[in-house]
Amino acid sequence: MSHEEEKVKVIDARGSYCPGPLMELIRTVKQSNIGDIIEVWSSDEGSQRDIPKWTEKAGHEFLGVIHEKGYDRIRVRKTR
Amino acid sequence: MKRILVVGGGTGGTIVANNLAHRLHEKLVKGEIEITVVDSSSLHVYQPAYLLIPFGIMHRNEAIRSERDLLAETIKFRQERVNKIDVNNRLVKTDSSSLQYDFLVLATGAQPDYSQVPGLEKGGYDFYTLENAYKLREAIGKFEGGRLVVAVAGIPFKCPTAPMEFAFLADSYYSKLGVRDKIELDYLYPLPRPFTIPNVAEQVQKLMDDRKIKTDLLFNVESVNPEKKEITSIEGETIKYDLAVLTPPHTGSEVVRVSGLTDKGGWIPTDRYTLHVKGYDDVYAIGDATDLPVSKAGSAADFQAAVVSTNIWDNINGFPPSLRYDGRVMCFIITAIGEATILLFDYEHPPSPPPPNFACYWYKLVYNRMYWTVTAKGLLPGFGV
Ligand SMILES: Cc1cc2nc3c(=O)[nH]c(=O)nc-3n(C[C@H](O)[C@H](O)[C@H](O)COP(=O)(O)OP(=O)(O)OC[C@H]3O[C@@H](n4cnc5c(N)ncnc54)[C@H](O)[C@@H]3O)c2cc1C
Repeated sequence: MSHEEEKVKVIDARGSYCPGPLMELIRTVKQSNIGDIIEVWSSDEGSQRDIPKWTEKAGHEFLGVIHEKGYDRIRVRKTR
Repeated sequence: MKRILVVGGGTGGTIVANNLAHRLHEKLVKGEIEITVVDSSSLHVYQPAYLLIPFGIMHRNEAIRSERDLLAETIKFRQERVNKIDVNNRLVKTDSSSLQYDFLVLATGAQPDYSQVPGLEKGGYDFYTLENAYKLREAIGKFEGGRLVVAVAGIPFKCPTAPMEFAFLADSYYSKLGVRDKIELDYLYPLPRPFTIPNVAEQVQKLMDDRKIKTDLLFNVESVNPEKKEITSIEGETIKYDLAVLTPPHTGSEVVRVSGLTDKGGWIPTDRYTLHVKGYDDVYAIGDATDLPVSKAGSAADFQAAVVSTNIWDNINGFPPSLRYDGRVMCFIITAIGEATILLFDYEHPPSPPPPNFACYWYKLVYNRMYWTVTAKGLLPGFGV
């Protein structure tokens, strides 16, 4: 595991449906420090669409999506 | 003797108890079965009335009944506050008694939690209690113009359609009074669309655009400033208002939280098909108290009550369980005074609502009365809305 991997906060929202994963991300970002990376695990297809939209509006950095079997790992960096 | 204990005598708990009382009447009379409902309140409130009270469409006397009178005579009702649920020892403790059970049904509901958003309680109005619905009725009546903001300050909350229905009703109410042009109506919502379900959201967005209800999406309320009359979002926006109608975030009943039966959000982990509290075959959870991925709606509680009462009946009579909950929910969306549409959906099938019409509105008004005589009586569990 790289140094960066260690700092990643993981939210396992698999099995939770819209708007669960986005709401959990918002809650976690609120409680995090600037620079923190947050990774949402979501099996809800809508997350891939909604999370980048929210990240952009809230002024954070969208780091991308890693597709796993049955779910996605969606990464965001808190920037403000 | 088998003891069925229902904690919470709201919509879900009352339907389960009454339906079982009908089916098990003889056994109850012979003393082979006992059904007990415990609720801290002696009154049963029909919460959908809260949305309609501010516009004078429903009234207090249509919204409240005595819980004792609503329950079948064979059911024992205890007006007591439950303060501990010990599922390992099959024991429920209230302020004054200890109750043992063979089957436990948790139907403790959800309640507004104003503490999650600074300024929320003082900054605006809401329609999530009877008292607040009446305060809002006064404010709506006195409002002479300016910016009326309808905002959702936290998900999940009871009745996901209610805030947008409030915006539609306000538009309709002020249009009928001939003062709509003096009012700017804004709808603030946490998601990138004005409702959770995408295809319904599209139709709602169109209606809001047509009615000149401005939508500000991806707006997650961080705080409310009652002095400056401002709402600030997590996303960094600030919106000024003259009158704010705010939907508070919700959480589960304290008793299920202190009994260690919930997740972080205060909801009970529940099997989405059997409705067992995860890990306990003798404990069921229904309605708003659960973590099920469905709306916190009375109709969902009603459909779930049908599953639980049937499966308890099966068990008592030596049959395997014969029903599974399929995620069914039925919701009206009132789109104007005199106009509504209806959503029917489940885990597998999204809703396809008809265009708003008078028949749906009329049915909703009729249903408001049928609730007391049919739904809550447990006569047709699973058919109500
Ligand atoms: C404004 C508004 C509009 C709505 N409109 C609709 C609609 O149009 N259609 C629809 O389907 N649904 C609607 N609903 C939602 C519906 O009212 C709820 O989903 C439904 O009441 C849930 O039923 P329940 O049994 O889970 O909880 P409730 O009916 O809330 O019952 C919970 C009960 O548990 C009791 N309780 C809790 N803790 C304890 C304790 N520690 N000890 C003893 N008793 C306890 C409470 O006193 C309460 O009686 C609306 C709700 C609101 C607020």
